[in-house]
Amino acid sequence: MAQARASEFDEFVASRWSALMHLARLLVGGDRHRAEDLLQESLVKLWFVWPRVADDAPEPYVRKVMVRAAARSSRRRWWGERPVERMPEVASAGDVSADVAERSRLEAALVQLSPKQRAAVVLRYYQDLPEGQVAEALGCPVGTARSHAARGVARLRQLLADVIEPVQ
Amino acid sequence: MDHFERQLARMMHDAEEPAPFGPRHRKRLREGVSARRRARAAKRAVGSVLTLAGLSVGLFLLSGDPTRAEPGEPRPLPATRPSPPSPVMTPGAASPSPTSTETSDPRATATRSPTSAPPSDTETTQNAP
Repeated sequence: MAQARASEFDEFVASRWSALMHLARLLVGGDRHRAEDLLQESLVKLWFVWPRVADDAPEPYVRKVMVRAAARSSRRRWWGERPVERMPEVASAGDVSADVAERSRLEAALVQLSPKQRAAVVLRYYQDLPEGQVAEALGCPVGTARSHAARGVARLRQLLADVIEPVQ
Repeated sequence: MDHFERQLARMMHDAEEPAPFGPRHRKRLREGVSARRRARAAKRAVGSVLTLAGLSVGLFLLSGDPTRAEPGEPRPLPATRPSPPSPVMTPGAASPSPTSTETSDPRATATRSPTSAPPSDTETTQNAP
């Protein structure tokens, strides 16, 4: 029984690891090590509730744990990251490929948002979740989640204005 | 969803890199589960010890309390004399007559009557010169 449970869990983790890792990376603003820590911590929590959520919805559960843990870890002082007025220097296009440059720019812009704004934007535009599920993952009313997403997108419009050009 | 939002969604999806779940991740996950299991067991043990200690202290304090009232002790008497019971009023009955009450008490009649003076006084007056 326990063996079957463990193998089911391993199967889920192996199949969803890549997507969950990318979600974690977007939630923390691009830091690969923090993203891996966040995902490991969330999967450990999932292991202890696996019999309850395995047949129902393991991915929404782990997503919710990640969103809330990301917001908590952003408040820790030791992380030492501060918002700045100007965007940090990014690698020039000649050094790296265009895809990597675009990803770096996106992550640098996401870091500028507050944790809740970042989570709302990521859940809305990467996970394609409706507002109700975004609110549930954030643990706030739908109106608040909508407000976080709208403010986050408005800020990203300023930060990524030169990357995403408006349609004429 | 406007043009910017569509481009934002595309950038987020395009930024995904393939990241296989390797043996290093599996080992780290197992270690995390074991560490959390140990932490939960330790927390449960500490909770049990604290509960036991609290119960022991509570029982010790209860057994050593000197102000406890013994069940065999006489109850304290009231400080004032209890008032006589008032006459029972029944519906439809006349109120008790004060005359009948006065005549029913022989001591009250003797004290209120002017002829109840001791005879020795009269004898003393008559024998005076």
